Amino acid sequence: MSYKGFIRYTVRRGVVLFLVVVLAIYITIIVANMGGKIDEFVKGDLYLQIAQQVKRDPQYKNLPGSEQEKIIKMKYEQEIKRLGLDKPFLERSFIYLKDAITLNLGRALYMTSDSGSRLVRNIILERLPATVMLFTTAMIINFFIHLFLGLYLSRNYGSLLDKIVIALAPTSTIPGWFYGIFLILIFASWLHILPYGGFVDVPPPPDPVDYALSVLKHMILPLASWIISGFFLGVYGTRTFFLIFSTEDYVEAARAKGLPGSLIERRYILRPALPPIITNFALGLIGSWGGAIITETVFNWPGLGLVTWKAIQNFDTPVIIGVTVIYAYLLAITVFLLDIVYGLVDPRIKLQ
Amino acid sequence: MVGVAMLEVENLRLYYATRKGVVKAVDRVSFDLERGETLAIVGESGCGKSSMAKALTRLLPRNVHTYDGVVRLDGKNLMELSEEEFRKNVRWSQISIVFQGAQNALNPVLKVGFQIAEPLMVHDGVPKEEALKKAREALRMVGVHESFADRYPFELSGGMRQRAVIAMALITNPKLVILDEPTSALDVITQANIMNLLKRIKMERNLSFIFITHDIALSSELADRVAVMYAGQIVELTDAEEFYTNPKHPYSQKLMASVPTLRTDKKLEFIPGAPPSLLAPPPGCRFHPRCDKAIPRCGEEEPPAIEVKEKHYVKCWLYA
Amino acid sequence: MVSDVGMEYSLKGIVKELLSYKSGIASVLILALLIGLSVYTVVTIPPEQAIAMWRGENNMWIENPRNAAPEWITYFVHKNLPKTIKVASWDRRFGVVKAVAPIPDTTLKKIHIEVSFDYNYDDFPSEVNVFFKAKFNASKTTPLIKMYWVKPDGTKIPITEFTMRDPDQILYISVDQQIYSGLVAWLQKEKGVKPYKTVTTQEILFGKISPSMEQGKVEVEKGTYKLVVDATTYNEGDDVDLKLVVYGKIYGIAGTDHLRRPLIIALLWGTPVALAFGLTASLAISIIQLFIATISGWYAGIVDSIIQRITEIYMIIPFLPFLIMMAAFYKLDIWTILAVVIVLSIFGAGIKSTRALVMQIKEYPYVEAAKAYGASDARIITLYIIPKILPPLVPGLIGSVPGFVFLEAALSFLGLGDPYLPTWGKIINDARNNGALYKGYYYWILEPSFMLILTALAFAMLGFALDKIVNPRLREM
Repeated sequence: MSYKGFIRYTVRRGVVLFLVVVLAIYITIIVANMGGKIDEFVKGDLYLQIAQQVKRDPQYKNLPGSEQEKIIKMKYEQEIKRLGLDKPFLERSFIYLKDAITLNLGRALYMTSDSGSRLVRNIILERLPATVMLFTTAMIINFFIHLFLGLYLSRNYGSLLDKIVIALAPTSTIPGWFYGIFLILIFASWLHILPYGGFVDVPPPPDPVDYALSVLKHMILPLASWIISGFFLGVYGTRTFFLIFSTEDYVEAARAKGLPGSLIERRYILRPALPPIITNFALGLIGSWGGAIITETVFNWPGLGLVTWKAIQNFDTPVIIGVTVIYAYLLAITVFLLDIVYGLVDPRIKLQ
Repeated sequence: MVGVAMLEVENLRLYYATRKGVVKAVDRVSFDLERGETLAIVGESGCGKSSMAKALTRLLPRNVHTYDGVVRLDGKNLMELSEEEFRKNVRWSQISIVFQGAQNALNPVLKVGFQIAEPLMVHDGVPKEEALKKAREALRMVGVHESFADRYPFELSGGMRQRAVIAMALITNPKLVILDEPTSALDVITQANIMNLLKRIKMERNLSFIFITHDIALSSELADRVAVMYAGQIVELTDAEEFYTNPKHPYSQKLMASVPTLRTDKKLEFIPGAPPSLLAPPPGCRFHPRCDKAIPRCGEEEPPAIEVKEKHYVKCWLYA
Repeated sequence: MVSDVGMEYSLKGIVKELLSYKSGIASVLILALLIGLSVYTVVTIPPEQAIAMWRGENNMWIENPRNAAPEWITYFVHKNLPKTIKVASWDRRFGVVKAVAPIPDTTLKKIHIEVSFDYNYDDFPSEVNVFFKAKFNASKTTPLIKMYWVKPDGTKIPITEFTMRDPDQILYISVDQQIYSGLVAWLQKEKGVKPYKTVTTQEILFGKISPSMEQGKVEVEKGTYKLVVDATTYNEGDDVDLKLVVYGKIYGIAGTDHLRRPLIIALLWGTPVALAFGLTASLAISIIQLFIATISGWYAGIVDSIIQRITEIYMIIPFLPFLIMMAAFYKLDIWTILAVVIVLSIFGAGIKSTRALVMQIKEYPYVEAAKAYGASDARIITLYIIPKILPPLVPGLIGSVPGFVFLEAALSFLGLGDPYLPTWGKIINDARNNGALYKGYYYWILEPSFMLILTALAFAMLGFALDKIVNPRLREM
């Protein structure tokens, strides 16, 4: 019986989130096109495509330039009408919306993907794994550090270590990318023991093991910067959290029942605390996607963030819009996964 | 074994250290309890009743200042046991406790049946299937349908949860069950139901209960003996019959006078003043500032427990 | 986890308790300092002036050294680093000589200029320029300039010879290729030394001429130097004056950047910008969220549901990419950026806890009593609900300021910030883009970073201290 409820819940969340993503993308499009930016590149791209088509077409190849121009223009007008791009703003926006949802994000103005494609979708998706790899690793490392240290501290609260952690909690308001600049300053610029940035040594080592090690070496500083940033507040937060949960009545009842301490910790403190802990984790994950842009710029990490940075530098409008759309999807997927895990862990959800 | 009571408490003390000073929550409390007897501990809020429960089950907070005395269960002094020994051999297997506000005594993410069965699995090593079966039986015994064993606490009503907690407290067949205000968070009808359940269990099982409450009328339903607590001390300890008809200590008398009776016309009285602070209790007899029968000696010396009649003790200079 | 709504808060009580914590005192002091700095800055350097200075209008910084370190760095390097020396031919002081000798029967004049200065530093100057201030008509015959360099031991080295083009001509001695080749040739011919290719013009001019130059090693020759200019003017009314600038390697309290701008300006001006941005964003968002949460919690029903849906949508809209998109497409000034940030944040997660609190208070007996005696919704909300939900907001408000300060820095870092205002993020951006990390100009990054960290920590500490006061549960822990 609970499985049906769970599936119903999952489907419901999925549908709701999808609608939300659609709305979010729609807002993005409206805002982006307020200055006609989308129209610009869509039409420009279209013109380019038609011009190329015409110039290659044996029918028209050998015509003089001015003739070609006229034909191109005529075909262009035709296409505009066919695609409905001459309709008013609101209608156009829905056309763009459909494209955006299906990830038909057009072609970049200047940038290309490593594989040579000009499609915005490819440029972005190609870089996505690097971002996911870096930030998910950072989040997971942070999660476990905060969990175990927080648990340890909650058992020994009031100790000197506890006081130090509390005192240093404000250092977490400084974002990871800022620490990153300093780490580069110390370890790359001054001590020369770690690389300034990038994904892998240049030229990349041919041996796959060496390659992997090189990538790991390049991951050290970006990971460190986010670990340092989140450390004190994260540990303090989970410690306070566990403290509050360990003062619950049912924990005292468990002690009265004569259950051993480790069992109480696992079953009576950790288990009930899982739903909010997971929520925090997911929120942190979502937040880290945002911080990714600056971090990757600082470290030259070839991920989604760096693509954004390059797109800004080059004024590559379609890529900038495409990145925003992809981020919206990323967030929606993260929230969806969070909801699923939450539903698994909190019995109150399953049964409603 | 005649002559040696099942539970002997001597000079039990539990003091807390707070920012404002030392709180003497349980201040040299002594009493005996026979097997199958129910002792009701009555008193106002803040008199130390709940701390008594904590002292007996060693559920101490971090800021304990003093914890000593003698607590003998079947001849063995529990205070001499180590934490681990106490946990394994005494907690729940010999002494269990039903908390105030049982709504929160159950872990929200574990099934009810599992929680009831848990002590069996942990203390007696009973395999899970069998333990769950016993848990279901226990639920049935307290009047909750077995199917609720597979439910989560939030799916049960307040009354049902309280019953479940009682079932949980009984499942290991302990010698002593402490009930700390088990019904104060419930409506009157549910309260009556729970009291009936407790009476039935008392009859069927020959368990010893310590029933802690501020509701004197309620206590009369179960009590064989009554102890009145005031400012961390027991000021009167006697048989229930004796207490409800002929209380000796001025405080007890005021208490009984403040309880409305159903069938007789009674002029209700109240006790002036406020309960004393456990930080700095009044010198001498702690009740003397509010007592209308106080004599000068009451403010100077603390009265000892005087045996007024057989097994009837009063801590008052009037009976010296 | 609900805070104790029964507590009453008094401002005096809070302040007193705050000052009992060490972190409270520290943060209040730092914030007072920052606010004082902001006020001072805005008063002494009004915004238009700051922007003009940062744009470097009218070449105002031309006499500053490029990428100079702050003067206090000498304590760390134990070397007497050079400061900028400026000597002009019109200076009335010892060491400056200007003699004008007209040639009889002609309109020609021979002008002899000597500017001397003492150079006792342990390191070479970063640049050497000569700024001419001449008077002549460019269409007629222009003055002829012969320039020499005289070292402390009296060695006279010819530098260059040319005809002036422009009355305000600048001679970039240290980078001029011709001058360099001339000096190298002179060294080889007159002193038999062929300097290694890394030896710079400044090193030749200010260094001890020795064979070690061939390995690229040059020592500073301390003493009195002289720049000698022999000019010949051809027309009536022609004149030649000049200013020699020997650029140092240190400047002022904060150093300079790649455009010779004193970093102290941006450091000072960054303070009010950061504070204003952070505080305004924080306050506006908190207040608006307060309203939304109150309305959502109080009216419940459909209004609540709608607001909840909107909040979900907000969660999915990616904040930073969206902000970047807007800043990249439409060149925004800092106040518009602020507005966008606020709009993008108002339906954020902070609403949830406040709304929960409102719903809790709504059920309280005294609220019901107020409704019973006919109090209007507005009255209940302002008198009963808001005073109870306001205090828990304050720590969050203060604590979120650093986030916004860093957000502004991040945008500037990406090059998307306000294009005209000098801010801390802008400095870091400039530093990074101009290779500060590679070239070792650590102060360029460290100084704005220090300000950012100071501001962030001050607000964060204050926020945490306030949190402990307002949430008594945390205090017990």
